[in-house]
Amino acid sequence: MQIEIRNRPSFANLLVRLLKGDRIVAESNAMASMSSSITLRTMWNGGFLGAILRKIFGGESLFVNEFTTASSGELVLTQPLPGDIECIELKGQTLYLQAGAFLACDPTIRLGVSFAGLSSWIGREGLFRLYVRGYGRVWFGAYGGIIVKDIQGEYVVDSGHLVAYEPSIQLRLSLAGSFFSSIFSGEGLVMRLRGPGRIYMQTRSLDGLASWVNSHL
Amino acid sequence: MALEFDIMQRPDFSLLSVKLAKGQHVFAEPAAMASMDTSIELKAGFRGGLLGSVGRMFAGESLIVNTFSAPTTGGEVMFAPGPAGDILHYALQGGRIMLQRGAYLANSEGVELSAKWEGARGFFAGQGLVLLQAQGTGDLFFNAYGAVLEFDVKDDLIVDTGYVVAFEETLRYEVTVLPGLGLGSKAKAFFFGGEGLVVRFFGQGKVWVQTRTVHPFLSFIHPYRPKKKDS
Amino acid sequence: MQAEIQARPSASVAKLTLDTGEMVVCEVGSMIAMSTGFHVATTARQKGSSGLWAGVKRMMSGENFFLNQFTAQRPQQTLLIGPGVAGDVIHHQLHAGSLIVQGSSWLASGPGVTIDATFAGLGKALFSGESVFWVKCTGHGDVFLNSFGAIYEVEVDGTHIVDTGHIVAFEDTLDFRVGKLGDSWIGSFLSGEGLVCHFSGQGKLYCQSHNPPSFGQLLGPMLKPRPA
Repeated sequence: MQIEIRNRPSFANLLVRLLKGDRIVAESNAMASMSSSITLRTMWNGGFLGAILRKIFGGESLFVNEFTTASSGELVLTQPLPGDIECIELKGQTLYLQAGAFLACDPTIRLGVSFAGLSSWIGREGLFRLYVRGYGRVWFGAYGGIIVKDIQGEYVVDSGHLVAYEPSIQLRLSLAGSFFSSIFSGEGLVMRLRGPGRIYMQTRSLDGLASWVNSHL
Repeated sequence: MALEFDIMQRPDFSLLSVKLAKGQHVFAEPAAMASMDTSIELKAGFRGGLLGSVGRMFAGESLIVNTFSAPTTGGEVMFAPGPAGDILHYALQGGRIMLQRGAYLANSEGVELSAKWEGARGFFAGQGLVLLQAQGTGDLFFNAYGAVLEFDVKDDLIVDTGYVVAFEETLRYEVTVLPGLGLGSKAKAFFFGGEGLVVRFFGQGKVWVQTRTVHPFLSFIHPYRPKKKDS
Repeated sequence: MQAEIQARPSASVAKLTLDTGEMVVCEVGSMIAMSTGFHVATTARQKGSSGLWAGVKRMMSGENFFLNQFTAQRPQQTLLIGPGVAGDVIHHQLHAGSLIVQGSSWLASGPGVTIDATFAGLGKALFSGESVFWVKCTGHGDVFLNSFGAIYEVEVDGTHIVDTGHIVAFEDTLDFRVGKLGDSWIGSFLSGEGLVCHFSGQGKLYCQSHNPPSFGQLLGPMLKPRPA
């Protein structure tokens, strides 16, 4: 199976070339176009219970699709937002993903949900964390470009800009400045992250886009 | 002292990273902060100069400019604008530059901002050009929706008002309606903008034009907006 | 007319250079910047073709398809045009046959191309519930297309399946059938793919990497409500 991330970094999409026996799992509605020789099987997103939790608390879709072929074929997978796609090879470890960031993975990867704590919920990161775990590759997408940062001490990130992070990162909600400044600055609540660990940030946020559009309505 | 900065992820989803030295400040538009070191302090407030020419700005325009400083040690702060597009840096050296209001992102100390509005006769505030004038000596950062194209004007350029990002003060400009460009009363209900408002530039100087604007995007996103519930 | 596509691939615009008497037809609202020597008219009808006005009238229920006609009055006049959403612009040369273009992907065309916005071959409600219209371009000359996302070409020789939100344009030598993906309607619905278009035959197919309704459905709920 050959997978290429095309049109990086602004409209990244996956060009997947499948041979007989190859399988790839993708987010619901990720398919843009494909050869007729490719078939798909719809499955619960993270098992039955996981799918329900991911839907209700994570805003994820209930189902994922597994694509395969009896001969050979081409498949284009994409995400709803314009931006970059990153591929991570997991060797047994876990990676937490923001809702909607998951795009595709090898069938050996497990998709799940774990409790994220109240801080995370109030910070609009969700009550449950979405994770991917296992041995294999994961493709996730972002709105805008992806910036990788290895954090040692503490770092402050505006919530809409966090895409993925390692489990060693602790999240804490915080005011952006003083109470007055936090409200009037427009920054409000931010996430204070404590490392060590790696985080993936996106250079745009849906919140930021919505505010900009709303200011014209 | 000039700001140490880097514009990353150009040109489509540009991100501005500013490394403040101890005691330095950077000023930015509200909600632009994407991430920052914990040594950075944020203060919201009104900037001197903005309050003066506030009169013509229509309701809803935010007058708040945030101040980021690094009082104890240095630190890094990253800024991301709302729409997808590029960020440009302009070094002011005692001169002046005009910016479309929505293009303002951040500036260093030494730069003064004031507001101006230029509309065509008969149009309400909010349509036409809402301009910021930046003057002084220091760094100015402006963002665009889409890419930025630079035009060297020699008396012969018309730009749709929605696409003007910034222009040098050496140019004279006039906001008018170009008949034939808009729809007039034909199908107002379906369009945001589309009135045919343009800026005509005279003289010589640089104009920065963005390759996307908000009005067609509003038309595009309109069917996806939630419907107002009948009260 | 000379054309150059700038700011590729994500904020692309077309820079057109016209000589005295040359004309180009563009979607209203696409003009970004221009030299001062153009005559501009808004038209719902293209010279030499009939039926376009009727077509436009039929679309008055919310679909936008109005045209600006730019005619150069002096030599070497430049016109910069661009679409409303982020994405690419391409220049297709039409020689023979027709190109069927998804309505919001049609940007501009030269005077030798007839544009018929009444083409209903694929039906209206295809974009996952959002209505869409199609423009049939016939004749000889330049056609400018825009995409939401990157544009990629598929040379179809056999069959190919495309999610309807990803179709930019296709040559009319291709047969098409809108239907479900896979064997069952439930499967199609649950998979999230909804309706897809099965293309067969030989011809060129332009696709876009991103899907306007998927993006709209993510952003839309976060915006101020629209008046009922």
